[in-house]
Order: sequence, then C-alpha cells, then structure tokens
Amino acid sequence: MDPSQLTIAEAARAIAEQNLSPVALVESYLERIDALDGELHSFVLVLREQALAAARAAEREIAAGRRQGPLHGIPIALKDIYKTRGVRTTAGSRRYATHIPEEDAESWVRLRSAGAILIGKNETHEFAIGGPDFGLPFPPARNPWNTAHYPAGSSSGSAVAVAAGLCAAAMGSDTGGSIRGPAAYCGIVGLKPTYGRVSRRGVFPLSYTLDHCGPLTRTVEDCAIMMQALAAYDPLDPASADAPAPDYRRALGAGLDGATIGVIRHFHERDAVAGFGPDNAPSAAYAEAFAEACHTLESLGARLVDLKLSPLIDYADTNRLIMLAEAYALHERDFRERPEVFGRHMFARIGLGAFLSAADYVEATRRRRELCREFARALEPVDVAISANATGPAPRIDAVTTYGVYERASYTAPYNLTGAPALSVPIGFENDLPLAFQIVGRPFGEAAVLRVGNAFEQATEFRRRRPEIAASLPARRAATD
Amino acid sequence: MAETIAPERFALLVEQAGLKLDRERFEELRQGYRFVERMRQTVRRPRDPAAEPAHIFVHPRA
Repeated sequence: MDPSQLTIAEAARAIAEQNLSPVALVESYLERIDALDGELHSFVLVLREQALAAARAAEREIAAGRRQGPLHGIPIALKDIYKTRGVRTTAGSRRYATHIPEEDAESWVRLRSAGAILIGKNETHEFAIGGPDFGLPFPPARNPWNTAHYPAGSSSGSAVAVAAGLCAAAMGSDTGGSIRGPAAYCGIVGLKPTYGRVSRRGVFPLSYTLDHCGPLTRTVEDCAIMMQALAAYDPLDPASADAPAPDYRRALGAGLDGATIGVIRHFHERDAVAGFGPDNAPSAAYAEAFAEACHTLESLGARLVDLKLSPLIDYADTNRLIMLAEAYALHERDFRERPEVFGRHMFARIGLGAFLSAADYVEATRRRRELCREFARALEPVDVAISANATGPAPRIDAVTTYGVYERASYTAPYNLTGAPALSVPIGFENDLPLAFQIVGRPFGEAAVLRVGNAFEQATEFRRRRPEIAASLPARRAATD
Repeated sequence: MAETIAPERFALLVEQAGLKLDRERFEELRQGYRFVERMRQTVRRPRDPAAEPAHIFVHPRA
C-alpha cells in the first residue's frame, strides 16, 4: 500500500488501527514532493524536519491511546498567506520575502490541535490576487493534469499539491473564487464556507468583507473532516460567527431522497455571454456535463427547480468593486511609496482601486445588501442550489492575461458577495482536463452542501480518475523503465 | 463596454490618486480603467434613500 494514495478518511482508519504510521505517511509525501514538485512548483517551503518530528510525536501519542481524531497524524499544507509562527510566510510577494510571523493563523492552530501535521507552505498568487506571475521569487504552480496549463488561483499551490498527492489536504483562501477555481481546474473538492464560519485571523487579508478560509481535499468526506476541526467561533476575528457547528461527517450519509435542489442555470446559459461577451459561452462539453450532473442528482431522488436571480454581472461586478476598494486601501501606502515592490499582475489588478470614489464603494455595498436579500429569498424553498463553476477546462498558463480576472464571467464571486457556503465538485472532463460545478447553500448550511456533494460524488466515478502524476512513485517508475 | 480612457484624462486621475507611474504601468492601468467604469455602471443605480449598505456598524464585544 502506498500511503500517499489514501484519502484522509482511509489513512485515519489505518492509523487508528495502527496499520499505518504517521511517520511512514509523512515520508511518503516528502518523497513525492522531492520527486515531483520540481515540475509542479506547488510548495514554496517544505518543513521536512518539523513534519517528521511531529509525525514521530503523533505516533507516540496514538500508541499510548491518546489519538485525537481523524486528523491525528495527517500531513496537510497551508497557502503561504497563512501565518506560521517562526516559519517564513511571504504572501507570495517580495514585500514579505523574509517575513517570519510571531503568531499562527487561528485555522492552523485548530488543525494542529486536531493532530494535523504541517508539511509545508503552498505557492500563492501575490497577496491572493496577482498571478500567475513569472516575475515573482517563486514560479507559478502548474496544473498536475497537464503542466502546460493553469491550475487557477489564487490558492494554486494548495490545489496542485492535493491533486498531485503531495499532501492529504491543504488550506486556501477565497475572495472571488480562489478556492473553488483551483479545485475545479485541478479536479478536487474545495469548500468556501459561510462568511464567519472559519476564522480569518492570521491570514493576510485581501478584502475584509469578502475573504474566506477553507479546505481543499480529494473527497467530500475529507472536506467534512477538515471542517469539523475548522468550524468554530473565534472571538478575536471580528467577522467570526458564534454559531454551533453540526457533525458534518454524520450529515454525509443522509442521501437525496426528498431533497429539493435549485438550479441557477441562467448564470451560464444566458448571463455570461450577455454580460461579458461571446468568449464566455460555456463549452459544449461543459453544458453536457452540467446537464448530466442534473440528471444524476434527479436519479438520486432530488427534485430540481430553476431559480432566478439578478444577472451574473451584477453579482460579479459588485464583488469586484468591493474587493478592489478594500484591497487598494490595504496596500495604498506601498502603491504610492514603493510600487516597484509589487509584481505586474498585483499592481495592475489592485492599482485600479485608486480610481474608485467613496461613493462608488458605498453604492456597491448598497447593491450588495439588495443582492444578499434576493439570494436569501431565492434559496428559501430549496435545500441547496447548484451553479456552474468555470465553464470549460483550464487554459494554457501562458494564455492567462492581466485583466482576464475582470474581463471574464465569474461564477464563484456571487457566493463571496452573499457569504453563502459553496462547494466545488468535479462533474467531468474535457480534453483530459477536469470540469466542476458548485453546490451552494444558505448561510451556515455547510452540512446540506456536503451531503449533496457526497451523494453526487459517490454516484459518479470522477473522483477515481486522478492525474498521471498522482500515481504512486513505484508505479510511475515501473511505467518509465 | 466603455472605450479606453484618453491618456490626458487618465494622467489627471493618476495625479489625483497620488501615484507615480512609469510609462509601462501607466499604460497597463489605463487599459484596465474600462473595467472600473463597467463595475461602476453596474452598481450605481437610483435607490430609495432607505436602502442601507451591507456593511453596517456592529458594536464590538468588549
């Protein structure tokens, strides 16, 4: 058995039965990072000795009967905007190239308390917005399905590392889609939880009212396991919600009989082209995969009903304007006094915030309230909704343009704006690259979202197909001999 | 979609914003300014004065 091929749930069972040592698990991931990450660039820092020491400690604890739960002894990674005490945290920027934080991000504290082991820090777009940028100190991560292609961002390294089997799970952040975009292009699962559900404290901000922290995993069940550790009130995060967390894993088995699922189809069937131009039409393969996903949900016992919201551009541009204003305010001093510190994409994308007025920002927040109310009403009669994610496969990495982020339709931004939980789940392939949709819930409805995601995942085979580079190293070596 | 803003007009905006840009960055931001105009046009519309912003003030816990 190659331990790196196991999901968290499978590895946790093997560790609990003492059939798998956390040390062996960490060693298998370190060997894979050594062998493969020179091509993938998913890590900016590998914490070899610390991870092995933590694994040895976990092994002793578990042998002594003090196992803490399913994350005990499981190696994970953090996007390099999560502060780690005494460990360099760069935010992907020259600005923080040698920054050693004095505190840990709260979400990492919670994962560590549950027994998780930090194996390294993942490549990120600069300040979670400026990438892929070939002029930064760390090269951009590559899509493990085809390294000529883009893995999306900004949690690019996190998604690539999970998809390629270089760690069991990773943390990302999401202000307009930065967890769900990379999850979609890399063929894994990514959850942007409800705003306030997971602490943002100790994570470099991009936009205070839109930033979310969440996990990237290989399966929905693994996502539920991560959320059980992450979902908690943090009195030191002003946005943190004092709301109880349900048993996410228990919710998975409920099935879909009697469930009502809304379908937000006008976003991709009409609004993308109407608002952003003909280049934004979904590919034929995507349209077919989305339709097939709807049939699968119906075959599992769900009733599907169409939902009608305001046009996609209203949600996407309101999100973008607020993000621009908040991000520029954060970095204004550096923009004025030392603009050379920023990479090209970060400068061009966030620099536009300099030209917004206070009235623009307030008007955007008023539009936000209107759209949040509309969204809440639309979701009242359904358990969850489904919505497109990127409506085609990952483009080549050299085809990504500076202003593509504003030029193209964003199917993920509506759920940053509304703060609703949104889960990206694979629904098919096009040209051997993954496709995905989103399952969206009411605020704090993660359990319902995960339940539907798990039922869909179990009914389909997409999770079993993994990139060639994710194959076990002995199998890879045998194939190349 | 709005047309690209004229260099002379954009230079005024850059000056008002307090930015000092080399030619390359000036041109890149100028090309991107049309997206700001689109976003502005999307969010700005007549509203009832009672339409509150999303980000209202909440008393912090002690």
